[in-house]
Amino acid sequence: MSTHILGIRHHGPGSARHVKAFLEELQPDIVLVEGPPEADALLARVGDKELQPPVAILCYQQDDLQHSVFYPFAVFSPEWQAILYAKQHNKKVRFFDLPIANQLAVEKEDRMKKHQPDETDTTRQASEEEPVAAAAGVREDPISYLSRAAGYEESEKWWEQMFEHRIQGEQVFEAVQEAMQSLRDELPSREDRLERLREAHMRKMIRQAEKDLFGTVAIVCGAWHVPALLNRSQQKEDNELLRGLPKTKIECTWIPWTYNRLSYHSGYGAGIVSPGWYEHVWTHPADDGTRWMSLVARLFRKGGMDTSVAHVIEAVRLAESLAAMRQLSKAGLEELNEATLSVLCNGESIQLAVIREELIIGNKLGEVPDSIPKPPLQVDMEKEQKRLRLPPTADFKDCTLDLRNDNDLERSIFLHRLQLLEISWGVPSTVSGKGTFKEQWRLQYDPQIAIDIIEKGAWGNTVEKAASAYVVHQATRAPSLPDITRLLEQTLPAELHAAVEVLVQQLNNLAAASGDVIQLMEAVPSLVTVSRYGNVRKTDAALVNGILEGMITRICVSLPNAATGVDEAASQRFLELFAALNEAVSTLQHAGMLSQWKQVLELVSTNPGSSPVLAGYALRIMADQKWIHGDELVKNFALRMSRLNDTRLSAAWLEGFLKGSGTMLLLDEDLWTVVNGWVAGLDDRIFMEVLPLLRRTFSKFTKPERKKIGEKIKGGKAPAGVAGMQQGNSFDEDQAKRGIPVVLQLLGLSKSGNNE
Amino acid sequence: MSTLLREHAEQLYAQELEEISRQETGRRPASWKLTPQGVVTYLTGGKLKNGFEVSPKYIGNKRLMEIAVATLTTDRALLLYGLPGTAKSWVSEHLAAAISGDSTMIIQGTAGTSEEAVRYGWNYARLLAEGPTPAALVETPVMRAMKDGKIVRIEELTRIGADVQDTLITILSEKTLPVPELNQEIQAVRGFNVIATANNRDKGVNELSSALKRRFNTVILPVPDTMEEEISIVKRRVESFEKVMELPAEPPALQEIRRIVTIFRELRSGTTLDGKSKIKVPSGTLSTAEAISVVNNGLAMAAYFGDGQLKAADLAAGIIGAIIKDPVQDKVVWQEYLETVIKPRDEWKDIYRACRDLS
Repeated sequence: MSTHILGIRHHGPGSARHVKAFLEELQPDIVLVEGPPEADALLARVGDKELQPPVAILCYQQDDLQHSVFYPFAVFSPEWQAILYAKQHNKKVRFFDLPIANQLAVEKEDRMKKHQPDETDTTRQASEEEPVAAAAGVREDPISYLSRAAGYEESEKWWEQMFEHRIQGEQVFEAVQEAMQSLRDELPSREDRLERLREAHMRKMIRQAEKDLFGTVAIVCGAWHVPALLNRSQQKEDNELLRGLPKTKIECTWIPWTYNRLSYHSGYGAGIVSPGWYEHVWTHPADDGTRWMSLVARLFRKGGMDTSVAHVIEAVRLAESLAAMRQLSKAGLEELNEATLSVLCNGESIQLAVIREELIIGNKLGEVPDSIPKPPLQVDMEKEQKRLRLPPTADFKDCTLDLRNDNDLERSIFLHRLQLLEISWGVPSTVSGKGTFKEQWRLQYDPQIAIDIIEKGAWGNTVEKAASAYVVHQATRAPSLPDITRLLEQTLPAELHAAVEVLVQQLNNLAAASGDVIQLMEAVPSLVTVSRYGNVRKTDAALVNGILEGMITRICVSLPNAATGVDEAASQRFLELFAALNEAVSTLQHAGMLSQWKQVLELVSTNPGSSPVLAGYALRIMADQKWIHGDELVKNFALRMSRLNDTRLSAAWLEGFLKGSGTMLLLDEDLWTVVNGWVAGLDDRIFMEVLPLLRRTFSKFTKPERKKIGEKIKGGKAPAGVAGMQQGNSFDEDQAKRGIPVVLQLLGLSKSGNNE
Repeated sequence: MSTLLREHAEQLYAQELEEISRQETGRRPASWKLTPQGVVTYLTGGKLKNGFEVSPKYIGNKRLMEIAVATLTTDRALLLYGLPGTAKSWVSEHLAAAISGDSTMIIQGTAGTSEEAVRYGWNYARLLAEGPTPAALVETPVMRAMKDGKIVRIEELTRIGADVQDTLITILSEKTLPVPELNQEIQAVRGFNVIATANNRDKGVNELSSALKRRFNTVILPVPDTMEEEISIVKRRVESFEKVMELPAEPPALQEIRRIVTIFRELRSGTTLDGKSKIKVPSGTLSTAEAISVVNNGLAMAAYFGDGQLKAADLAAGIIGAIIKDPVQDKVVWQEYLETVIKPRDEWKDIYRACRDLS
């Protein structure tokens, strides 16, 4: 009877190879693997054709989905190989870690004790914690002490050279055990309750296995735990420690996993750098780099880059001489990458990204049998639906939400989140009635949604988390300002603060990098809306305000330049944006911004190069704001309209100056005086010359406006407001009749609008 | 002290080369003066076994130097590629000095570099008098390096016309230089290799033919990774400049160097140092070398026109000059940067005012 402890590094291909060889030689009666005992039943599926790694065991609590635990396995994971060995040889296999039910409950207790409820997502990849990166993060990786002692800069590298690349597996586990023993002796002991509990439980399980009369026991666990499991004499203390642990209810299932999520790049703190490379090392342990380089060359050729056999030869040679210079026995991934960079990519690291994606990480997706239980996102969604009393129905159902009501507000938030996730259960429709506090939705369940949920499940386990992560993902990919602005508008009502922050940040970045003032100006109006009405929904309007100020500052810097040399067609569009921006600035009423805006207007209106429409409009805004008035205004106006100017330019200028202001001209006495005074002051001959210009501008006013203007000139004084318009003696009864249906429709009294 | 304005690397650092060669034990490739590890140590600096301190020549990623040296141990040639001012020529000079003990085998590539400058030329008086004889042959650095087993450096390879560039192909692949006029050939002795430099910002250069490109391993020298790295480079180079030029000004405070490096880095990378906001990038390269010259220039200003202390005002003109290369585009970029980034920084008021006054 004997017990063998195999200390490994999780997802280490070398470790996997050693474990496999060791087990085949030892032929143990039972294999104990680090992992949650709750998932023992799932082990039966290992070896199925339909269960293809990378896969993960997902352990989750029905009532607390945020604290879920994943145990990922790749084909090169030592644990996977150990389980596979047991299945193929009909040996017993058990997980022997502390049950997840206890782990989660203990963690929760600890959180409560600290009195700082941990809101962050603690979803973790449990079997990654040690020894590569300590779970608590702050603590230094213990192996780094050893690697520094050996003169390596990175602990990963040292471990790889010492244990993973070693082909001869003799006594490797003894060496690991001794190394860890000395580390645990030297380092101050960790005051980690969970770790002590876990190790106590592991010891208990080993004792249990020995008691069950299994002759030879093989144990596969993280290297760090090995010394703690060697000495199993403190049975009493262990039992004492494990007594009365809190528990929660746990569900386990297999889920497909990807190499991408196994890697650091997926955002998980603890992952491996290069799953694809590890798989290569696992499948071809004897490769000296030639096979890898051919893969690289093949990939490059597929991408249309000429890569000859000579390139491959040279790259392998360079990798080997690099390894020799660094006194390594074999070229590792770094040497091969550097050789690729230097020989195949001509030093451009951009092309390496292709290799990273396709080869080093690999885009492999695992497979899981069809009989999988429900994914957590769906569980969460159903729970929310129940809570908000929004049951899914096959037929469609309309509901109107009053956002002043808390329950309705929450419903709206939930629906907006689903929208962001592109789970098309609820579709907003236009609201009838006034006010920004109302929303109308049409809800209809569709089988397609189930697939969407599984698909979006990758982004998080709750609707909130998933929506947030998905928005962030889109935000980082969205190429242009308008995209981000639109996304921001959609995200604000979903109350995803973290995502909004990212969006705002991204918006800021794009705004800064964008050389296109027009794009910036396009983004401003909708942001102003957000900033003004954001507070109705208690959202992060303050954030938007900050960004808005920054953007307007940027626009102000480049607008004077951008307003020059614009052709006529483009300047029409520009004019609209200019007007919208003016509205935005005056809406915000920010003193600093107003003074900036004033400077810009001055520049645009005085710069002879500015597009005349814009220059005219700028002067007009200044007049409206009373920044320029009286003689100054008259002088400017006359100067611009003087006869020596190119007529086309003057016409355009006047058009800008009087943009959309037929009624304004009637009501604003100052404006009236300027224009009227100027026309009256012209002598006949010149008047004839400028008449076409005037006609061009005035023809854009509506007919009644023109009529009133004429009357005003005739009468020499202003009619009294809008009412004055109705006093005209040429009241056309026929025309008025035609308007009646429209008025009725506006008042909601008639349905059809077409009464020609 | 030597009266030379600038000494060769192997003269300036003779003692270091000597010490490294005495302390090391490994195997040297044929004709090399140092082992590959020794060359890397010479370039990146470090402490020798006997405690002798080797000053770093290249501050930056050691791995790049390892790739460069490893390349030269194989029979592939080395192409150092990068923006202007990223120490390409500097590295190539020191590599040649460390490996061959001789950095003088050099061809400056220009649009006018002819085949005779790369392969061999003729002494025409002799050619006419004696006909083609070995004595009438004028050797080029390439030919001499092949005969002696040394490193030859080709500066600005991409400026040389494509037809002339391609004469290198035989030399690099067959390691031989035929002289058909004499019915002879020069076969390269072990230790011969080529280090070429080229810059990837210039317009109107001659791209290498893919046949030639295939003979080179390329190492791109990047702009410095970290702030500290760049500050250390600027500081070192400015100090050596002060020594050579005997400037009466006080050595610059680290703070001033830090500010210039910050401005250059931010504008180069397009983000502020805290990574929080993006900024537009001007058209110039803003290399470390330019940062060095801004500081040097400021020192000279302070020494001869100011009060001997490096102030923001002495630097402002240099900074603006380095950044605004295109009078329209870059000016907007700079103004935006000045207003949105420099202005809000409290300790930077002086530099803001100084720059504002000038623009």
